[in-house]
Amino acid sequence: MAWALVLIAAIVVPPLVGGYLTSMLILIAVWTIMCFSMNLIFGYTGQLSLGHAAFLGIGAYAFSLITVKLHIGFWPAFFSAIAFTGLVGFLVGIPALKLRGPYFILVTLGFAVIVGVIVLGWIDLTGGANGLYGVPRPPPIPLPRGAKLRFDSLLSMYYFILFFVVLIGLFCHRLVHSLVGRRFIAISYNENLTESLGINTLSQKLLSFTLSAILAGIAGVLYASYNVVISPEVTHFARGMDVVAYLIVGGAGTMAGPIVGTLVLMTVPEVLQVVPYVKTLLNGVILMLFILFLPNGIIGWFNTIPARLLKSREVTHGPA
Amino acid sequence: MEESEGIATTELGQYLLNGISQGCVYILLASGLTLVLGILNVPNFAQGHLYMIAAYLGFYMVMSYGMSYWLALVLATFAMGVFGQIIYGLVFYRMRSAPEVNLFVAAMALLMVLEGIALYFFGASTKWFLIPFSRRVITFAGLAIPLQRLIIIVGTLVVMVLLELFIKRTAIGAALEATAQHREGAMLCGIKVTRISAMAFIIGTGLAGIAGMLIGPAVLLEPTMGMGPLLVAFSAIVFGGLGSIGGSVLGAFILGLVESLASGYVSAKYSLTFVFGIMILMLLFRPKGLFGREVWRP
Repeated sequence: MAWALVLIAAIVVPPLVGGYLTSMLILIAVWTIMCFSMNLIFGYTGQLSLGHAAFLGIGAYAFSLITVKLHIGFWPAFFSAIAFTGLVGFLVGIPALKLRGPYFILVTLGFAVIVGVIVLGWIDLTGGANGLYGVPRPPPIPLPRGAKLRFDSLLSMYYFILFFVVLIGLFCHRLVHSLVGRRFIAISYNENLTESLGINTLSQKLLSFTLSAILAGIAGVLYASYNVVISPEVTHFARGMDVVAYLIVGGAGTMAGPIVGTLVLMTVPEVLQVVPYVKTLLNGVILMLFILFLPNGIIGWFNTIPARLLKSREVTHGPA
Repeated sequence: MEESEGIATTELGQYLLNGISQGCVYILLASGLTLVLGILNVPNFAQGHLYMIAAYLGFYMVMSYGMSYWLALVLATFAMGVFGQIIYGLVFYRMRSAPEVNLFVAAMALLMVLEGIALYFFGASTKWFLIPFSRRVITFAGLAIPLQRLIIIVGTLVVMVLLELFIKRTAIGAALEATAQHREGAMLCGIKVTRISAMAFIIGTGLAGIAGMLIGPAVLLEPTMGMGPLLVAFSAIVFGGLGSIGGSVLGAFILGLVESLASGYVSAKYSLTFVFGIMILMLLFRPKGLFGREVWRP
């Protein structure tokens, strides 16, 4: 019920609010996908990755390179870019996921830093600090009776991305409630115990990490296509930290957490009209307050209300 | 022929010298990280940013208030210690029984806050921490040695010797070691573990302060200057083996040399990539590091 209302609001509101807010909503939608991706590996599987900005960057750059330099069409480029991101995620995951705790985080952070260095340094390929121009928007989709669904306006781009948000949200929902998802959650509670039940935790974590990389790759492709220009700024590791902040504030390991967290943390700086510099400070302070006082996030806290009213000791799930 | 060989050796010597002084900064950061990781179980991702804050503090004390460098060094280190106490009291003391993942996130949040503070108060543009005497260059055996590089090396030696004496020869040092080895056991012996944790965190931030003050005059200051050294210092801990300050010191030293040689002979842009490559190989083939006792398990 609440979901239907949110979806209706997401569809109805943008045409009413004008261009600037729609472009904000597009960014929020892109980062919501990133947050879904983070939720899969961190919220449900319990592995904190600080390297997800790199996957977004790899998806975005792969897509831009394939379309701009190889002149291949939108959809083949779309699928090959996310497949490539998934492959990179898989290959990085093999050594990284053997590690636990701070070492996994360290390797993912290092991976993000290296990708950032390569994107800035390999000027012939990536255009260095200038980035790449002329990334295509999605091609028109032919409808019956000669009509065409075109994607050149801001609003149509918003709906295009919203479609993916909904699709990915449904995918995550199905996944989490499947047997595979249950295994992920079991790992987040106690990896050793899960392993003792005969579950190969490494391959499960690898699956979760690869899927998560693919989702981040989709966010990257959508961002590149929307923005037309792609610059190294998006793959900066700090963006990966921002996503973790969005997720924790929203509520890690909950379905609505990514949406709420991204919406709140991306709206607050806009409402307060802060200069970009203060954004990092604001995100950091908000994240710190949440991890100290509401580590389960907004949704996690919300979910405990009925339990607290019933004076039960039941608390919400999620590793954070 | 002979002359070009001579130049090649000088070049190598120069890179080695740079590597050693760079390694010294990593040693200071890595030993602080090891201490905090060992006792509080917090991987302090903000260690590099604490070092950045210290460098800026020194910059303002020396460049704006005309303080002497040595006085600023002492004051900045002291200030970072106080800052460490504040952070410990506000954040990590409250989180002493929180799940591990929350500690990682808190350290990351601290990093974001410090970077935000630096961007807001110090600005994003680079600053040059210029001290006349530290720019002086000594020529020795064909090597051009900037005085500041010598100050870094000597300063690190002094600090590390003092730290070693403190840990091995004083009662508080013994309590630190005991807490790192077995937290509950230390509690049973009557050691006030929270106080020891605060002590470890303060020493960690203090070491970051010294490192920042030592490196400040040798590099350009910018709010993100702490990220690279943090990653190298963390890699050094992994490389040297968890839980041993000796291991992380050796790891930091080796990685400093690797970084300097890679940036000298290959490309400065990709030097971090080499450091990480080595760390990842180490993790894959010998996860406990050079001197580690066991693999870290949650």
